[in-house]
Amino acid sequence: MADEAPSMEEKLAQLRAQYAVKIQEQVHQLDLLLKNLPHASDIERQDIFAKIRDATHKLAGSGATFGFPDVTVHARSMEQACIAVLDTNGDAGQGIEDTLKQHCDQLRDAVGVEDQNAMQSHVDVARPPAPQLHGSSRLTVLIVMEYDDATAAQTHLEMDHFGFNSRIIDHPSKLINDIQTNGPVDAIIAGLVFDDDEKATLKVLEEFRKDEQNHAIPIVVHTALDSIESRLGAVRIGVKAYLLKPVDMADMVDVLDHVTQHHEDEPFRVLVIDDDESLARHTEIVLQSAGMSTEIVTDPMELFRALDNFSPELILLDLYMPGCNGQEIAAIVRQREEYAGIPIVFLSGESDKDKQLLAMELGGDDFLTKPIRASHLISSVRIRASRFRKLRSFMARDSMTGLFNHTTTKQLLDNEVARVQRINGTMALAALDIDHFKKVNDNYGHAVGDRVIKALARLLRQRLRSADVIGRMGGEEFAAILPDSDLDQAKQVFNQVREAFSNIVFHTGDQSFGATFSCGVAAFPHSGTATELSDAADKALYVAKRNGRNQVVKAESALD
Amino acid sequence: MSTAEISKILYVEDDPDIQVVAKMALETVGGYTLCVCSSGQEALDHGEEFAPDLILLDVMMPEMDGPTTLVNLRTISALEQTPAVFMTAKVMPSDVERYKELGAVDVIAKPFDPMALASRIQEIWSECRGG
Repeated sequence: MADEAPSMEEKLAQLRAQYAVKIQEQVHQLDLLLKNLPHASDIERQDIFAKIRDATHKLAGSGATFGFPDVTVHARSMEQACIAVLDTNGDAGQGIEDTLKQHCDQLRDAVGVEDQNAMQSHVDVARPPAPQLHGSSRLTVLIVMEYDDATAAQTHLEMDHFGFNSRIIDHPSKLINDIQTNGPVDAIIAGLVFDDDEKATLKVLEEFRKDEQNHAIPIVVHTALDSIESRLGAVRIGVKAYLLKPVDMADMVDVLDHVTQHHEDEPFRVLVIDDDESLARHTEIVLQSAGMSTEIVTDPMELFRALDNFSPELILLDLYMPGCNGQEIAAIVRQREEYAGIPIVFLSGESDKDKQLLAMELGGDDFLTKPIRASHLISSVRIRASRFRKLRSFMARDSMTGLFNHTTTKQLLDNEVARVQRINGTMALAALDIDHFKKVNDNYGHAVGDRVIKALARLLRQRLRSADVIGRMGGEEFAAILPDSDLDQAKQVFNQVREAFSNIVFHTGDQSFGATFSCGVAAFPHSGTATELSDAADKALYVAKRNGRNQVVKAESALD
Repeated sequence: MSTAEISKILYVEDDPDIQVVAKMALETVGGYTLCVCSSGQEALDHGEEFAPDLILLDVMMPEMDGPTTLVNLRTISALEQTPAVFMTAKVMPSDVERYKELGAVDVIAKPFDPMALASRIQEIWSECRGG
């Protein structure tokens, strides 16, 4: 049931959008009927009132169901007015026409306003299945304290481009009330000076922090005020960052990302292999107390199942076991390509250095002698596991953006194409390239160029789903693999990203500039292999560049 | 009516938009099986064969309105006792009384909340079985 709820809401949003279009047509019909009233004979008038009654009866009965409560309200007023006239055989006089006209106008307004909302939600829904964000499943919500309306509006807009949902309050005194009314937030961006009072915000935040519940909310100060007193005050209430105006939005976003990300990484997965279950349990308790996730294998024959199901990042191995010994197990693990690099740490009572070295030769990385102090065991395991994790991610990811690198992206594309071939599915590939990127580097320097690249990487992460693969193919080139999406869906998604990206303003020194990208999209099965997809997307990208850049071009039109 | 659970609903509604929403609300959210009829005549044609646990009728329909449809459905012996519920945008207390006299166990006001429709039906069902 829980799984079905969102799809139901999506469907409802779609119906709502369709309904909005239909209502407009019906309002138009009502308008025509009303215009005919003054010229109609008495009998014709009765007929018109009856028609309006029936039409508005329907609208009243359906409006709120589709999310248009105002439609129900105004349609019902019109229906009742018509019933009243018909009951009195049309004696209600001239006033009725004005009343109906008024309600009809309000009805149209209700549709107009609601319609924009409906279209908005329709756009969201029309994104490929489950518009889930990469990494996190929801937007990060912020409160921005800013007294200047124009600055506030600008901040709100720019934050929106980066996928932050912000609420603006114009005075710190409104903070607590806002959180009570509108719910918790992920971070607060606080200006310091309000009504010439440099302590206005700090006083409120001090009070705010006294409530336990608010302790965890990161606060970022954003101010033009640079004094030791204010910085000290900020430190004392535990602000996470102190940014001096003017701040480049991309920098602000970096800071916000940093403070709102949950840094407790996924726990390290450690496989403990020991035939003595009570010893294994003891090791497990020690590691779990350090926040690691563990699994125990007491029968070496269970090894493969554990490797496949648990995919450990480190193996802690007893040297002597019945059946087969630790060295043999290490050798078997190393035979499997995907575990060739996994750290294997022997844990044994063996104190003979020669025997220890022999064990290492066969594939062990370290040798810990029992009994071992818990803290030593923990740090030895943690160091090796984290190094392994980092190494693996270096091999797969681009260091500047954290996106997949060229090799990995190509590999994942091959996998995805194989998958859709097998299931007769659909998928799309997008090739992106930042427009005139060389000029950015030439005019503003490479550091600024890097910021532009990071901003696009972040935006892609933000706007695409976690199932989508995003890669940095080199320089200012990006690629994205969208499973279960067709050409049109891909084009729509990247047009949204394109729009958002073109709205970002980068600041450097006292200059500011914007950047755009061009994008080509190709899709399976229109292009049938990984190579064909890449070629088609590249060609479409070329067309996008040739046609003036800052646009998304579908591969099929590129071929024509 | 020996079945404790409600599973099949005969639904009579002429407005295609409302049909779609209600169908979704009752099938997806409620998990019921629906026979959707666009007119009273259609309901009379399919009602006996479908053998619903509950009949859900819109009041205002062209040609045969909801109350008339119900009166006609009651002449089918298999549907003589099937609980019936009206849906209407006109919820005057006097009308509600009249619908109940016609054998409706309850009246659902239009516009309805699609997310809550199924639970409203379930409520009515439990109530009419309990009473």
